[in-house]
Amino acid sequence: MPGLFSFLMPRCPDAPMPSTKMPPVATARTITRRAALAGMAAAGAVGALWPYTPRFRRSVPRGRIELTYWEKWTGREGLALQQVIDDFNASQSRSFVHLVPIGDIDAKAMVAIGGGDPPDLVGLYSYNVPGYAEARAVLPLDTFPAADRLAADAYLPGVRNLLWHEGRQWAGVNTCYTLALYYNKSLFRAADLDPQSPPRTISALDEAAQRLTTFDSQRRITQAGFLQNLPWWWPYLWPFLFGGSLYDESSAAATIDSPAGIASFEWLRASAARYGVAATRAYAAGYGRSMHSANDPFISAASAMIVQGPWLGNFIASLAPTLDYGVAPLPVADNLVDDSAPIGLLECDVLMIPRGCPHPQEAFDFLLYHQSQPVQERLAAAHFKPSPLARVSKNFMSTHPHPGIAAHEAIARSPRARVLPRTRTWKQYSDLTMSAFDAVWAGADPAVTLHDVARRAQALIDNAAAIRARRPA
Amino acid sequence: MTPARRNILSGLLWTSPFLIGFAVFLLAPLCMSLYVSFTNYSLLEPPVSVGLDNYEAMAHDPLFWKSVRNTAIYAAACAMFGMTVSVLVAVLLEQRLRGSALVRALVFLPTLIPVVSASIGWMWLYNAQHGLFNAVLGLAGIRGPDWLGDARTAMLSLVLMSAWMVGSYVVICTAALRGVPAALYEAADLDGMGPLARFRNITLPMISPALAFNAVMSIIWGLQVFAVPLIMTRGGPDNATTVLSMYIYSAAFSYGRMGYASALGWFQLLATMVLAAAAWLVLKRFVHERGA
Repeated sequence: MPGLFSFLMPRCPDAPMPSTKMPPVATARTITRRAALAGMAAAGAVGALWPYTPRFRRSVPRGRIELTYWEKWTGREGLALQQVIDDFNASQSRSFVHLVPIGDIDAKAMVAIGGGDPPDLVGLYSYNVPGYAEARAVLPLDTFPAADRLAADAYLPGVRNLLWHEGRQWAGVNTCYTLALYYNKSLFRAADLDPQSPPRTISALDEAAQRLTTFDSQRRITQAGFLQNLPWWWPYLWPFLFGGSLYDESSAAATIDSPAGIASFEWLRASAARYGVAATRAYAAGYGRSMHSANDPFISAASAMIVQGPWLGNFIASLAPTLDYGVAPLPVADNLVDDSAPIGLLECDVLMIPRGCPHPQEAFDFLLYHQSQPVQERLAAAHFKPSPLARVSKNFMSTHPHPGIAAHEAIARSPRARVLPRTRTWKQYSDLTMSAFDAVWAGADPAVTLHDVARRAQALIDNAAAIRARRPA
Repeated sequence: MTPARRNILSGLLWTSPFLIGFAVFLLAPLCMSLYVSFTNYSLLEPPVSVGLDNYEAMAHDPLFWKSVRNTAIYAAACAMFGMTVSVLVAVLLEQRLRGSALVRALVFLPTLIPVVSASIGWMWLYNAQHGLFNAVLGLAGIRGPDWLGDARTAMLSLVLMSAWMVGSYVVICTAALRGVPAALYEAADLDGMGPLARFRNITLPMISPALAFNAVMSIIWGLQVFAVPLIMTRGGPDNATTVLSMYIYSAAFSYGRMGYASALGWFQLLATMVLAAAAWLVLKRFVHERGA
């Protein structure tokens, strides 16, 4: 039917009709350059497009319900979770969890849920809980038939606060972490400091840091004792160490500009001035993209002390197993020292069931399995993290691979463990603190800067509350 | 079916992939974003109409104004700096000097390098402690600044880097230079014009359409810059390099404020259109039309 699609071809009266003669058949046996290039291009295309099985991909057995689980972890952390999932898949015959590693998971989960095509399970951060709960973007766990198997008192009090919002549980825990002070014992010895006595107060920290910091002839830092901008990931941490807070939940007020908060930022400014704003920034910038690599400032002994989470132990074990280091709770203001109740930041990763997911009941079954003590302990140990549960097995601490886990555990179980503000505007609030950190580090007035942060954060909090009030219940 | 109708039908069918793509992926989102800009919308909840609140909030948002200021400085500086560098390099490369072909390739090379790789490389060049720039300044006894870490020099550093990526502008200038009739230069020689006078009175007017094109394009690209500051400074220090595109992205995908991000996006679109049109109208007065 030559004329069927002829209307697709614009008629061009001057164009010659295509020849019906066959082109001459090539008889040469040599391969032309064009043919060789075409062959190579074809081979390359086949190689690039050849289907392959990703590391986390498992074939789904016939008759099982496939659950899609989005998680942020890759590498060793991802493999540890995959082992848990493999065990779950082998333990029953109803569902089959398929782990999908996702980068930038906050944004993608938001788009997927908003677009009505979410996975069955999604691994987010505890600071996501208030926003997702208020938006009903995830399912409250108390609506499932076996919800009574999730006992609130099974979790550490701090962890429980992070999973619950407005009286309901919205997420399961997916390991937790606390921030602690990592210190290099070899460098302590070299500076005539006692490696068994890490600093417990801010003043002791300053003194040790000064002794451990070295400069070259041009006043450039060659070894840092302790720098608050290395890394700069937690610019909102410092008020806690002075007894301050970021948010008063009862009054929904931003409180970073309390006297303790201002004192903490005055300490930051004094530290920057002591070692030099430019020198400290230059030194930290050199490690901006090498954290958790062999060139990590702590692993490479470029910084004698650093604030980090328990995962650092995991990286040390693989990158510098002979590094002689210790872990201690964060130093605090002199009047706040209480070894039985260290102050520190407690955060956790969470596992949630998105609204509109295809298999909520099966997802909840996996979540129940995932929240069990053996699984949580196994995952925590594989991630070098403390247990998020109130009770731990006898062997958890003794067999834990992290030599400094006791410090992280002590903070996690401390009544003075602090959590981030449980408000859906926290991400914006935290970005304001980052900007404030930069400004104060460069010499800006801490009180003025923090009053501005608090004022702007309060406006965001109030606006979010006003919008929420306008939504139908 | 008449031939005219058949031609229209076939034209529409052949262009339908573009038309459908345009409607689905550009026009519909554009209309949607205009609607969303008048709402409070987090993607997770239905939008709530807030009227002009998002636009009003922009007026009182210091970070918005800071990002606008940063974007304007970056775009203006990139346009001026890039234009000057590209013209000078193009003219230099047209002098038939030994090795000019190699230099031309080297000038164009940065355009081919992925922006992430280039940005990370430049971060090391700018490193205050170990960077090449400060090492060279140190040889001259000058203590170099903390290029990216100091709010006073961070934006300048990004602009300097942009001047390194002028390869495509140089190519356009080179093409324009080669289109200048040799007879004009011969006449200028006969009149005893010096090199500077030739450049001012012949070269610049004759390549002015290319310069105007480059200027408008660099303003448009400059107003939309995103990746370079995101990678090199993450908007810091103290938001000194936060540009509008970065702020829009943060508002939408970090803060879940789609309504506000849409309002910011519309501001950016309109500002880009107005500035590009204004630049074109101003530059048109200086553009020499052939045969005019």
